[in-house]
Amino acid sequence: MVSYLIYIGVAIGLFAFAATFALFAVYYERKLSAFIQDRIGPSETGKYGSLQTLADILKLIQKEIINPTATDKWLYALAPAIIFIAVYMGFAALPWAPGLVPSKINIGLYYIFAIISIETLGILMAGWGSNNKYSILGAMRSAAQIISYEIPAGFALIAVVVICGSLDLQEIAMQQGILFKEHTQFLGIWDVTGMGGFMSWNIFRAPHLIIAFIIYFIASLAESNRAPFDIPEAESELVAGFHTEYTGMRFGLIFLAEYSMMFLVSMVGVVLFLGAWNTPFPNIGSIHLANWTTGIGWGIFWIFVKTLLLVTVQIWIRWTLPRLRVDQLMDLCWKVLTPLAFICMVISAVWRVWVMN
Amino acid sequence: MSAANILFYIMSFIALASAGYVAVSKNLVRSVFIFFVTLFALAGLYVLALADFVAVTQIVVYVGGILVLILFAFMLSGRETLNVLQHPDRSVWKITNLPALLIVALLFIVLINVILKTDADHLGWISDSIKTKNYITNSGDMTGNIGVNLMTRYLLPFEIISILLMMALVGAAHLSRKESVE
Repeated sequence: MVSYLIYIGVAIGLFAFAATFALFAVYYERKLSAFIQDRIGPSETGKYGSLQTLADILKLIQKEIINPTATDKWLYALAPAIIFIAVYMGFAALPWAPGLVPSKINIGLYYIFAIISIETLGILMAGWGSNNKYSILGAMRSAAQIISYEIPAGFALIAVVVICGSLDLQEIAMQQGILFKEHTQFLGIWDVTGMGGFMSWNIFRAPHLIIAFIIYFIASLAESNRAPFDIPEAESELVAGFHTEYTGMRFGLIFLAEYSMMFLVSMVGVVLFLGAWNTPFPNIGSIHLANWTTGIGWGIFWIFVKTLLLVTVQIWIRWTLPRLRVDQLMDLCWKVLTPLAFICMVISAVWRVWVMN
Repeated sequence: MSAANILFYIMSFIALASAGYVAVSKNLVRSVFIFFVTLFALAGLYVLALADFVAVTQIVVYVGGILVLILFAFMLSGRETLNVLQHPDRSVWKITNLPALLIVALLFIVLINVILKTDADHLGWISDSIKTKNYITNSGDMTGNIGVNLMTRYLLPFEIISILLMMALVGAAHLSRKESVE
């Protein structure tokens, strides 16, 4: 009985985390965008405007949920829940620290990849259920974009999986630090076994993985519908894309899903490329920096800081780059990223057989 | 009844009920979305049968790929076409339907026969493999086992399927190519 209570507790904890993160990420994004555009941003509510998003969410909860008459009631009402649950279920398999993972499954990465693809279905549901031309155009753009960019993202991930030889995220995380007992090399030339630190992270285990990481990062921007890939909700053309008709907490759920997705894809990137919960400091001679900064508390700290850094880069890109046109978007995906990702995967296989042995 | 049993019955019920709705519903788009529930419940049944890799593949292929493609087909076709499809002549007992009714009835008899004849608890090949120790337990290494088997024992079928898919890809690319203007 106690174990079931623990399961439920973990699930509620993850939901609370996703909600709190979204709350503060919105504030963070507004402040950062204000900085980039040389404004002040929210400043009235609370110290430095820090209570602004809390006030916003209170307003959203109180709002009336409007049901437009021409919608397909069921699809319209369920779509936001499906979009959010798809992202939220992905959190179950992410490792937080040595030995600390909500659900230790040996196909963790594959599971996350599958669960995220359900979001597309939720978006199509929202677009069709709204019975509005802007919504349906936005939904179709979004689905086309997510399906296309899943391919380079998937192959970039496979490039890492081939090097690591595992789909278990905890195993992949463990291989990138001092806890890994086997032979580790920095870029295939310098033996860093037992040194740990940033030199044993996956991104530096082979030179082509740096390219794979960039491919994954670009594709992850597209998968979370973030600028410069936000044509599904391009304000100037489609009002608000697939969530034009939504109000109140239903809109809130879609918003929550977008910010949770940002965190999720960043965290997957960190786990696979940037050393997961491993410390960036190496052991140098008798100064065992890596040993001192490894542990459950440190693990949570490092993975959180690294993920927040990636989220920061996502926000920075959104407020710096203009939106891509549809054809440019597809050209980038199919003519640049997909072939590069394929090449990365082939190099990975060769690397695994000839360099790592 | 153990928790696994209860889960099995819940998920089978969801799968059957949603499949029934898919078949009966007059709203085509809605039945596509309910089909998603069927597939998800099936994935849950696979997990119960310790086939977690198959379950996740089911979600990737069917939900992420095929369902979305079906929906695309819907959204690209006009509302009039859909309306015609949604209000067909629904009377079943007609002379033109006789072949279909016959096939359905025969298939139903065959299925009932199979269910009655199969002694699911004492299947010959299962007891044989238990006797010869030719089975794996839930050691958490199911995926690795699938990979090794695909690359050794079942390499030829695997390669043939990949060539088939490659041909489909090339064909699709050729069909969708713009004709060069001369």
